Amino acid sequence: MWQLSNLVEGTITVAVLAAGLAVWDAIDLRWWMVGLGIAGVAVYAGVVPQWRYVVHRWEVSETAVYTQTGWWARERRIAPMSRIQTVDYAETAIARLFGLATVTVTTASAAGALQIAGLDQERARRLVDELTLKADAVEGDAT
Amino acid sequence: MSDPTFPGDPHPPSYVVAEPGVEVEWQRLDPRMLLVHPVREVIRFLPPLLGLFIAGQASGGGRAWQFLGVLVPVVLGLLRYLTTSFRIAAGRVELRRGLLNTHLLSTPLDRVRTVDLTASLIHRVLGLTTLRIGTGTSSASEDDELDLDGLPVERARALRGDLLRAAGPMSYDEAPGAADTDAPVVSLDLGWVRLAPLTSSGLVVAVGLLGAGSQVAGSLDLYDDVDPGSWSLGVPGWVVVVAAAVGFGLVVSVISVAGYLVTNWNFRLTRSRGAWHLRRGLLTTRETSIDEVRVAGVSIVEPIGLRLAGGARLSAIVTGLSADAAGSAMLVPPAPRDVVARVAGVVLGTTTTVPAPLVSHGPAARRRRWSRGVGPVAALVGLVALTVALTDARWWVLVPAVALLPLAAVVSADRAAALGHTLVDGYVVSRSGSLARRRDHLAVDDVIGWNFHATWFQRRVGLTSLVATTAGGRQSVTVQDVPEALAVTLADDALPHVVGQFLAPHHAPVDQRTGEPVDVARGGSGLVGRRGEEDSDDGRVVGGDEGAR
Repeated sequence: MWQLSNLVEGTITVAVLAAGLAVWDAIDLRWWMVGLGIAGVAVYAGVVPQWRYVVHRWEVSETAVYTQTGWWARERRIAPMSRIQTVDYAETAIARLFGLATVTVTTASAAGALQIAGLDQERARRLVDELTLKADAVEGDAT
Repeated sequence: MSDPTFPGDPHPPSYVVAEPGVEVEWQRLDPRMLLVHPVREVIRFLPPLLGLFIAGQASGGGRAWQFLGVLVPVVLGLLRYLTTSFRIAAGRVELRRGLLNTHLLSTPLDRVRTVDLTASLIHRVLGLTTLRIGTGTSSASEDDELDLDGLPVERARALRGDLLRAAGPMSYDEAPGAADTDAPVVSLDLGWVRLAPLTSSGLVVAVGLLGAGSQVAGSLDLYDDVDPGSWSLGVPGWVVVVAAAVGFGLVVSVISVAGYLVTNWNFRLTRSRGAWHLRRGLLTTRETSIDEVRVAGVSIVEPIGLRLAGGARLSAIVTGLSADAAGSAMLVPPAPRDVVARVAGVVLGTTTTVPAPLVSHGPAARRRRWSRGVGPVAALVGLVALTVALTDARWWVLVPAVALLPLAAVVSADRAAALGHTLVDGYVVSRSGSLARRRDHLAVDDVIGWNFHATWFQRRVGLTSLVATTAGGRQSVTVQDVPEALAVTLADDALPHVVGQFLAPHHAPVDQRTGEPVDVARGGSGLVGRRGEEDSDDGRVVGGDEGAR
């Protein structure tokens, strides 16, 4: 999924750049520039998603949710179950092709959303139900 | 009117009706607003009115039109008064307003975070005030603000007391009137004014004035009228420049001092009935009340100018109140550092947290500050040198670039020295920055999550940035570039039942005092999330990402 979306993103970027260059015509396009661009996209579409996949972990316990995401900059986030505000379930167009979904857990802080990407849809729905039930069991307004 | 606390006995009738189901009368604002609204509307319509007036004069005999022009805003003002009403019933505050678009705003009482009383000059003459209820909504629309514009001061104070009492927990055991006469925790000292010129606000205003002035001058073609020849005053040019600079500095200082006095005149911070009350203002008085339970922590902010003069600012991290509403969260205006530290201690309710020494982040973090501070400048110097070498630019272009180097070094050293964190008395303390140094104190109970952020460079030297997320202020407190093991220990100490379970079994504790990691793999992670289904039978749900590749 990431591979495809990165590929799409990268291709669009290159296309826009090429179009911009064609219109602008200020810089004469050398072959190595094109090569560099294509190599960049290849890395972006080939290596980065693998890397991302290797890094991405998640875990849900009785009291907290824990995720690890990123590739170059790695981010590990922990949110106590008692502080969960909402649990979102989203399927992007590309994710739906693969039957996948993304679960986002938000807390009252703008800096604290946890994202678990690329889950099997069935699994994701079960996770949403489970998190909702667990978060619901806690008193207070979770701030 | 100078008494910032609630009126004691005789207590005015309560506006908060506890029992639900009872239909409560809608209340109007004070009739004296009938004077305020039309005047305000006329002022707002002044430009078109003037146009109308001039047009009327020109066409002749337009007296009726002019009359109508004044009448429309007045009627609008009247309508605004007549269509605005509010009530507090069944645990909710409701505000109804609008003639064509009726707008009904309703919020539960226990969501009330702050209550502001603001009185402009015209309000004060009439003995009125505006009561604003802060609910921590993130909506930016002006329609969604809960403003009760135009209540008599006494009534507004009583209402504020009722609101805060209803909003907070039921632990107000003080008898009414008992703690009302608290001595102020801090009040304005005229000596603080010396810090005013060092804040940036005066500069902003001065630059704004300068810009506006030059624009006006430009639009009036004043520049064309200036004859450069007539400027020769018989003194060298640099004297004029210096004089202009000094004059500009003086103007900025005067504006700053004036601004400081106007906003912070009669500043007082008091505490009563489970809330902090802040009162300030010379022309427009402003009284802010912050529910004590909502204070998650405080930030001591020291911009470079203030810090050099030994000053600082104090603001509160209030749950549910974002940093945009900065005015509501300010606790102490620019003031000497010891005053700020004392107030911070009082607000936090501990004497140990604020002066607590910080744990240093070690040599790796220090090196990182240096490389991040000096690196870009060095690159810039290199780039400029290259440009000079390749093109026939003048060599003196290099001078400012090279001059930046020691500056960057000083800032880097300062930034490196600033880094530090600690966990004292249930508060996470973090300090960082040089040009805008801040020391954040956040209560552990209000930490609603931990983020560990590390780029590849940071991982390489075993550092991570630990972010404590919270629901108020800037939404998070960052402990910058802390050694991995220390970060995990800090997070674990703060929320043991939460973080501990995710620690890999081989994780060893570190000595919190020296910061020496007992066991830390280079670039490795102290937290290792397990993957796969091997643990799913022990009550946890453990999953790897099942994403397709």
